[in-house]
Amino acid sequence: MTALLDRIPEGVFRVIAFVVIALLLGMILFPLYFMATTAFKVEREIYSELTWIPREPTLENFRAVIYSFRIPLYLRNTLIVALSTTAIVVVFSTLAAYAMTRLRFPGRGWLARGVLFVYLIPGSLMLIPMYLIIVNLRLKDTYLGLIIANMSFAVPFCTWLLMGYLRGISAEMEEAAMIDGCTRLGTLWHIVLPLSVPGLVTAAIFVFNGVWNEFIFALVLAQDESRRMISVGLSNFYRSDYYMVGPMMAGSLIAMAPVVILYILAQRYVVGGLAAGAVKG
Amino acid sequence: MAEQSLPRPLPSGATARKQTSVYTQEARLGWLLVAPALLVVIGMVGYPFVEAIRISFTDRMIGRGPGEWVGLANYRFILGWPEFGQMVARTVAFTIAAVFLKTVVGLILATALNQDFRGRNILRGVFMLPWILPTYIIVLVWRWIFDGQTGVLNQILTSWGLIESNIPFLARPWSAIALLIFVLVWKGYPFYALTFLAGMQTISAELYDAAKVDGAGRLGRFIHVTLPGLRQVMGVVILLSTIWTMNTLEIPLLFTGGGPSNATEVFPLLTYHLALVQFRLGEGAAVPILMLPVIAMLVLGVASYMDREATQQ
Repeated sequence: MTALLDRIPEGVFRVIAFVVIALLLGMILFPLYFMATTAFKVEREIYSELTWIPREPTLENFRAVIYSFRIPLYLRNTLIVALSTTAIVVVFSTLAAYAMTRLRFPGRGWLARGVLFVYLIPGSLMLIPMYLIIVNLRLKDTYLGLIIANMSFAVPFCTWLLMGYLRGISAEMEEAAMIDGCTRLGTLWHIVLPLSVPGLVTAAIFVFNGVWNEFIFALVLAQDESRRMISVGLSNFYRSDYYMVGPMMAGSLIAMAPVVILYILAQRYVVGGLAAGAVKG
Repeated sequence: MAEQSLPRPLPSGATARKQTSVYTQEARLGWLLVAPALLVVIGMVGYPFVEAIRISFTDRMIGRGPGEWVGLANYRFILGWPEFGQMVARTVAFTIAAVFLKTVVGLILATALNQDFRGRNILRGVFMLPWILPTYIIVLVWRWIFDGQTGVLNQILTSWGLIESNIPFLARPWSAIALLIFVLVWKGYPFYALTFLAGMQTISAELYDAAKVDGAGRLGRFIHVTLPGLRQVMGVVILLSTIWTMNTLEIPLLFTGGGPSNATEVFPLLTYHLALVQFRLGEGAAVPILMLPVIAMLVLGVASYMDREATQQ
């Protein structure tokens, strides 16, 4: 086996690498390609035969999801919850991460370890009590209820991410500033925050993306149409016996647009966050 | 508000030292800054966690008040359920299969992407798509592709003359399980590949040269240089991913909903079905608690890796 592998010349080995990449790339693009093309197909074409390119391209599916299926309302709800959650979580987590990486106080080690443990608690364990808490607080079908539920995992996750990031920033400038008479909070504001912008952007992207992509809490905590999230709205295009394929694919394209745009704009931050080991996979 | 909730500093090794005023000031500020996040974690994770355990000892149902204490009855019900053994075996098998395949495909892709060629960065961006795109969209699209009536896969196979009538992929137990694992792997391996790739790039070229001088071939270098260099990264990724894969609720729920005839009903899905479909909260709460010992072991594994990493820095 070893000898066989070594007998393959370098050129052939590269060809094998390219074939592997091409195959996996095909597997990635296959569903995305059909999602994108089907969104522009007329109903007859979707169900009757296979076409690789829409024969009579139409915007009918997009018109339907916007005017008949209330997708704009679901998008608005999701945007409100995602932005509010992101803002609150980033502020809370930045303060906590700064304290845990820079300030010495008893209990700090336990807190830091606790952050990781909390982050790894299974979601299914939290589902039932979270549902009851939100119902008891009369926050079912409210933005606040969804924000709270999403915060529960975003705060530990974001704190963990930022702790890793802050640990990588040298503390010398802060020390110099404090010798010059700057207060702790002053250094946090004037020195640490400007230096941490890439870390904060990374954290914000991950939290926003996480809320945008969240499905289970959205399904359970916002059953009323007026507060429905896009994840649940889209999954309703699948009824137990059939799919509304065209509108669903059009809706999917719309729903993933913000995520893709954000990703293209901030790819290097996302890769940085990936290296920090902060993502589920 | 935050000040009232400040917990007293925990006793630790540092208390022996005489506390200077600067030191207490720093400690107070530390707790003050941690307080908002800590409140969220205690209120929204700690308290519900304890609640989940308490509810699992009651016969609470949705819409029927707080329920009565029933001791271990819920646990006895789940453990004594005729299909319990199958469910455990299924969850374990499906987790191991998915994590194994994600690791293998991730390693292959990382090795391929580790070659030098033009357009590598763009490719890396494309390979991250499955992991960045919303899970519910991905899962619903695959579900439609595999659909027995309108699915694209059946249309393709028919138009190429490979099959004569549609195959109901998701209505057959074994193909449903296999395809569920396929979707999990499809969604998860890019994360593995890109973390492995990041790890590979920290291995120094000198090690490879030295191995070459020692007569190591291509496979030898992979086994004796690449894999040891990736051990740390692989350990963390595999442990974390095992936890997530084992707990995944969204993918099986949207892809097969546990069907056909319970063939893909995995542990987290059981919680959902008991609690939120049948409204039996007590029994539903007991299910994930039964998984806790396994998860705790995996979490301790992750923590020990992380500690090692922290001490190495």
